[in-house]
Amino acid sequence: MPEDFYSYIRGTTDVVPAGYAEPGMRAYRYLVYLGASQMVEAHFPEIRQQMGESAWKELIQAFVRQSAWASHFYGDLKDEFLAFIAREADSSDS
Amino acid sequence: MAGLGYRQEMAEWEMSTVAADFFEVAPENWIRRDRTPLHQLLASGRPIQLHGVSLSLGGQAPVQHAFLKSVRELMQDLDIEHYSDHLAASGDAHQLYDLFPIPFTNSEVIRISDRIKQVQDVLGMRIAVENTTYYTNLAEMSEAEFLMQVVERADCNILLDINNIAVNHKNHQLLGVHDFVSQLDMQRVTYMHVAGHEFDERFGLYIDTHSQGVEAGTREVAMALHQQYQIPVLLEWDNDIPSITHINQELACLKTSTAI
Repeated sequence: MPEDFYSYIRGTTDVVPAGYAEPGMRAYRYLVYLGASQMVEAHFPEIRQQMGESAWKELIQAFVRQSAWASHFYGDLKDEFLAFIAREADSSDS
Repeated sequence: MAGLGYRQEMAEWEMSTVAADFFEVAPENWIRRDRTPLHQLLASGRPIQLHGVSLSLGGQAPVQHAFLKSVRELMQDLDIEHYSDHLAASGDAHQLYDLFPIPFTNSEVIRISDRIKQVQDVLGMRIAVENTTYYTNLAEMSEAEFLMQVVERADCNILLDINNIAVNHKNHQLLGVHDFVSQLDMQRVTYMHVAGHEFDERFGLYIDTHSQGVEAGTREVAMALHQQYQIPVLLEWDNDIPSITHINQELACLKTSTAI
């Protein structure tokens, strides 16, 4: 499977990989976004309420874009999100 | 013989009133969790099967021996006979916690069947792979040909998802369910999945949501195969889970020998 496939899904490119259909690629990108959004919201519902929808969407999109998740356990996304927030804070400090 | 996918949302249910003959759980949900509810199900005389979501047979990450050891331990603890996962990728070398298509190509037949063999060697047993839905994919051959070549080369079983065939048929105007099934070796099928799906107009695609009742056509194919080959069937319902009464009605339909 070409690397481009997962680049599109993570949102690091909007170029549909050769041979794949655009609606299907959008569906996959959306489903991954939804999975990340639901798990983060389950643990930190107040963040979504405080940020508002458009900032929340950008935050989760950035989380997915930078993802290198390795655990077999979907619930571990909570720890990945905390690590992502810490990285974001570090990079804005420096 | 009709089973039910057991979900967290059912923890509060009085499971003795659920008319399922067996259950299925995801190992990822129970490896680290208190298994008391599952032991209670077993105590009611109904077996549990394992159906995983994270093996990523189509992915690039090495097969994780530690994870498979945990699966093996879970199987021993709950006296589980069958372990299956999807003929799909969960990501590239990383996890994205969804199921992505494996290109139906000759090179992927070799690569994926080798990975299945590795899994089977670590576990010391045969696994089953499920035919999945795909919303777009690359193909040198049909999905049924790909599935059969993989399972024969890996010498593994099939978890036959009738709903997924129906969703792919609707989305890609390919083989109908009957034609697809006629190309398979039914002796390799451990059991079948049925579920419901929804059309999503944002993508112009039917999405495999497991949020609806089972379509009549899907149920009829499952029941015909059940009658012909005595293959059990299991209902998956993951989102918008209805009442026990509604679930029992669906299960009753799957136990009726005449077409609905």
